[in-house]
Amino acid sequence: MKLLVCIKQVPDLESRFKPDAAGVWYNETDLAFRMNEYDEYAVEQAVQLREKLGEGTELTVLSIGPDRVVEAIKKALAMGCDNAVHVQDTAVSAKDPWQIASIIAAYARDKGFDLIFTGMQSQDRGSAQVGVTVAEQLGLACTTTIVGFDYADGTVTAKRELEGGIKGVVKLKTPALVTCQLGLNVPRYPTLPNIMKAKRKEITLIPVAELPTAELLATTTSFHPPAKKGGGIVLEGDVGELVDKVIAILKDKTAVLR
Amino acid sequence: MNFELSQDHKVLQSAVRDFVEKEIKPIAMKIDEEHMIPDALVTKMGEMGFLGSYLPEEYGGAGLDMLSYAIVVEEVSKACGSSGVLISAHTSLCSGPIYTFGTEAQKKKWLPALNTGETIGCFLLTEPDAGSDAGGTATTYTREGDEFVINGSKTFITNGGYLGTGVLLASYDRSLKHKGISAFIVDLKSPGVTILKNENKMGIRGSYTTAFAFDNLRVPVENLLGQEGKGFNVAMDTLNGGRIGIASQALGIAEGAFERALAYSKERKQFGQAISEFQAIQFKLADMYTSIETSKLLTYRAACLKDAKKNYTMESAMCKMHASETATYVTKEAIQIHGGYGFIVDYEVERMYRDAKITEIYEGTNEVQRVVISKLLLS
Repeated sequence: MKLLVCIKQVPDLESRFKPDAAGVWYNETDLAFRMNEYDEYAVEQAVQLREKLGEGTELTVLSIGPDRVVEAIKKALAMGCDNAVHVQDTAVSAKDPWQIASIIAAYARDKGFDLIFTGMQSQDRGSAQVGVTVAEQLGLACTTTIVGFDYADGTVTAKRELEGGIKGVVKLKTPALVTCQLGLNVPRYPTLPNIMKAKRKEITLIPVAELPTAELLATTTSFHPPAKKGGGIVLEGDVGELVDKVIAILKDKTAVLR
Repeated sequence: MNFELSQDHKVLQSAVRDFVEKEIKPIAMKIDEEHMIPDALVTKMGEMGFLGSYLPEEYGGAGLDMLSYAIVVEEVSKACGSSGVLISAHTSLCSGPIYTFGTEAQKKKWLPALNTGETIGCFLLTEPDAGSDAGGTATTYTREGDEFVINGSKTFITNGGYLGTGVLLASYDRSLKHKGISAFIVDLKSPGVTILKNENKMGIRGSYTTAFAFDNLRVPVENLLGQEGKGFNVAMDTLNGGRIGIASQALGIAEGAFERALAYSKERKQFGQAISEFQAIQFKLADMYTSIETSKLLTYRAACLKDAKKNYTMESAMCKMHASETATYVTKEAIQIHGGYGFIVDYEVERMYRDAKITEIYEGTNEVQRVVISKLLLS
């Protein structure tokens, strides 16, 4: 079985973001980067499946971007991916989600991947479109925002998160693609011995120009911080009401009360 | 010259940082209060490979380098100086000399359990009357058939309380001074080993500092580490490497305190503005950060020299001395920036201040480091 997990490297969200010179994206100077959180769930799930299936299964991790994304790739390799593809692209932030999906699809099309994992969305752009549009361009079955995963005999059983804390269960025949949500699993820490082993794993370099890329459909025209406003939500009412409101918020917005 | 960490080192740094943030930082205060690092944490650090970072994979280590080790100790110490020194003493002072001076059979026998943290290592050099002056070792050994028989006492033994594996220095003939000393690998669970006490300390309270008595401790001859009579060389080489570990620990403690002081200075308001707006605080922050960065460069450089198999005696002495003095200075200023709150346990900088002091003392006092540096300058 062949598995692919697609990851993105994003800035630490606690960074202070400043617009770049063109005012259409953030300035990368002085930012610290790490693996997109949702992609960590994707990697963990893919590695768990890889471990469950054992010999004969190959798990590839793919990332598009400048040289710095190799750090995220190496982390994924240290978590247990078998090999990696680095699509070298220094201008990836200027591409729209459909174009990025077209690059992944161009790479994956003739590789025979049975299952592709991606994060639900990236923490920086947050379009939540790349995963689903890769599936669209490759003609794969797809489900999104999964918080539970099982695979047996060519069928994926995924628990999905719907609005308001409701869950749904979806079954898909492979080849398929799933996008992963917080709560799916607890990503492992790369251990030192596995960081060492990752150094020996193969990273294939592909200049982005070698992969056919779709036309740009959407252009970011402005990047700016929001106007300042008062912080936080102020809840009002008696204690009983307040508790209900807090519980509702915790259920809706966090993993604390699942 | 390139002062950037490699991508591999950055991956490692970020992995260690994530682990420390979730697994150590939340319990650092408890470790200090209860004078104990939970066994579960020691096990997890073993699983992470923190206890065998630079030892080769064939002996169960992670196979990384000295710089990786320095980064691990630094990152762990940012949250908990006790856990930092556990790693440092274990790796540099026990696994290190067994790897450097051990026979193939000794390495195969002892290193795998040490590298995974199944047993915790320590270094038994210091005695009530022999610290900086290792030649004054009063613990003696005699040979009886296929065994050495060791008698005497050791004190201030970091990690001793785990009763794991130790590298022990003892003298055949005290009149020979350092020429009479040999090194042995000992299993501290053997008969004849008694813990006199685990010391109650000012800082690094989660770390064991143990006093031992040895009464006819029998060690098989195959546990002699290096040549007989060459134990002093084993000790000096071990301490050289160990200094990089202590420098990393001190660096981490300083960075941990600095992070808190910087954040607090931006939150705390007095006279209608954040105290970070006052030049008095700004200058403190500038001085603290400069000392930290200097310590980091010295420490990483010493680690890189060791990795390159170049002489690093001077550099390890300098980084240990400078980083430890930075740690006491930065933690003290961090308390000052916190004002009265800094004196309160909950704000954690007072613990860092207490943890920092020992780094000026152990693995060669800073006075000894100055002797080492000046001797090399003048030789």
